Amino acid sequence: MGIATRSEDLDLSRQTEGFAIQVEDLRKSYGNLVAVDGISFDVKDREIFGLLGPNGAGKTTTVEILEGLRQADGGRAIVAGINVLKEPQKVKGLIGVQLQASAFFDFLNLAELLEMFASFYGRQVDARALLRRVGLEEKANSRVKTLSGGQKQRFSISTALVNEPRVLFLDEPTTGLDPQARRNLWELAQSIREDGRTIVLTTHYMDEAETLCDRAAIMDRGKVIALDAPATLVQNLLAKGFRRRTAEREANLEDVFLDLTGATATWR
Amino acid sequence: MAVNIGVVDQAHNPVSQLVISRLSQIKAVKLHTGTLGSERAALERGDRDAVVVLPATLGQGPLALPAYYNSGKPQESSAALGLMNAFVDQASFQYAHMQPAFTLNAQPVNSRNLSYIDFLVPGVIAMSIMQTGLFSVAFSFVAFKQQGILRRLMATPMKVSDFLLSRIVTYLMMSIVQMAILIVLGLLLYHLHFVGNVVYLVIVGFVGAAIFMAIGFSISGFARDEGAVAAIANLISFPMMFLSGVFFTLSNEPSWLQPITKLLPLTFLADALRGISLNGDTLWAVRFDLVGLAIWLAVTLFLAMRLFRWEVV
Repeated sequence: MGIATRSEDLDLSRQTEGFAIQVEDLRKSYGNLVAVDGISFDVKDREIFGLLGPNGAGKTTTVEILEGLRQADGGRAIVAGINVLKEPQKVKGLIGVQLQASAFFDFLNLAELLEMFASFYGRQVDARALLRRVGLEEKANSRVKTLSGGQKQRFSISTALVNEPRVLFLDEPTTGLDPQARRNLWELAQSIREDGRTIVLTTHYMDEAETLCDRAAIMDRGKVIALDAPATLVQNLLAKGFRRRTAEREANLEDVFLDLTGATATWR
Repeated sequence: MAVNIGVVDQAHNPVSQLVISRLSQIKAVKLHTGTLGSERAALERGDRDAVVVLPATLGQGPLALPAYYNSGKPQESSAALGLMNAFVDQASFQYAHMQPAFTLNAQPVNSRNLSYIDFLVPGVIAMSIMQTGLFSVAFSFVAFKQQGILRRLMATPMKVSDFLLSRIVTYLMMSIVQMAILIVLGLLLYHLHFVGNVVYLVIVGFVGAAIFMAIGFSISGFARDEGAVAAIANLISFPMMFLSGVFFTLSNEPSWLQPITKLLPLTFLADALRGISLNGDTLWAVRFDLVGLAIWLAVTLFLAMRLFRWEVV
């Protein structure tokens, strides 16, 4: 009767207003364990959005639902204009995914792997140009196992770029990397955003979130307990009267390390 | 195979020397001469199949030649005695200046003379199909899962079933290449008597490969790591290798074991491959093996679908 507009159509029309991701009341349980407990948040286009929280907070489950890898129990999630809960397979073509454990077939070299990944999207790719983009051009004929930790992560990101995704998901991209390699990766993430892509980043490093993220959501026990720009989150804490017990020094050991070993000049 | 015949020459006359030289010309006879004592001792040791005595009165009239044979080696000793009998008959006719009433007119015929290698090659093909299916599938999929490769692939729009299918096609191709290598090596190095239809061979090989791949997928569903895969896959393949008549004919097996081994998938596979490649059997001729394989295929596919998991549990 009447002019009934389905709620999904409303969501899709909202999507056009500069949001890459919209999540509403998303839920997922494993048996008795509630992993994602009715969370809602939006990610704007061309934003670097941080998803922070202790292990088991539900970050990975949330991200995997958005990536179309896991079926949610309820709620709504629109990613790059696609209703993920309804069309998980379709969203995979529009996003790029870098997973924590990133292994690749070791009988192909980097250029071949990129061409293979492009073929999964029905695309051709200029493998050398893409490798140049992540500073691995001279490794085009090497195998993944010969790469350093930082190089592996950058290669992993290059495989996530073969389809020129609208949204890129980075899952703890700098875990286990040395300080220079972390900074290389931050630069890469920022340059990818400058290409016009949106990045969703999970991390355990708060300095990383502070440096990279325009906004960050902090999750705990399946819920989003805070969501704002990192500077605002810090301001809010200070406004509550929080003071560090020891005064901040002008430099810390990481600054010493970077000063002695050279900052970010070269790709590693 | 030559029979060892000992001759004790007590006559030492032209007749006895003629007998010995005639005997030594027979290809199937390995002739030994000696005293009665030494030849009998050799017989008792098992070094002779029969011992014949040429008495001192040889050539002086009708005579029974004393002969001894090894009762513990019935095949060899009866061959030796038969040879000696024929030889003695011929000599008697000559001695009596008589024409034998019947003679044998033997014609050479090229027969297939199947050797152990002919038996072995189809069995080894069956075994290699089993090993490739079981181990390659189980090892690589457990590794793919552990390293997160499957997960990364699932994050692309490619359908995982396409990936699965492409792996299966790859393994089937590998099975064909293995079959080809084994047959060509057999033909070149071991004069394999291969008379089979290659298409039939490939069809049966595919069915066998499918069964063992399905078992491989089942294993990769519940094995946690590659160590567990090795243990489970060996537990399945090792007994089959010995029980399924890959290396030996089943007729050598204890009779209580035979009903079990006849129902093993590797037995059906090896028998069908053997029938096709050695006897030139058609698919219809090996239909009982094919029915056995089809039942195994249904069972293992069902198991694979129940047990296979895309993710590490």
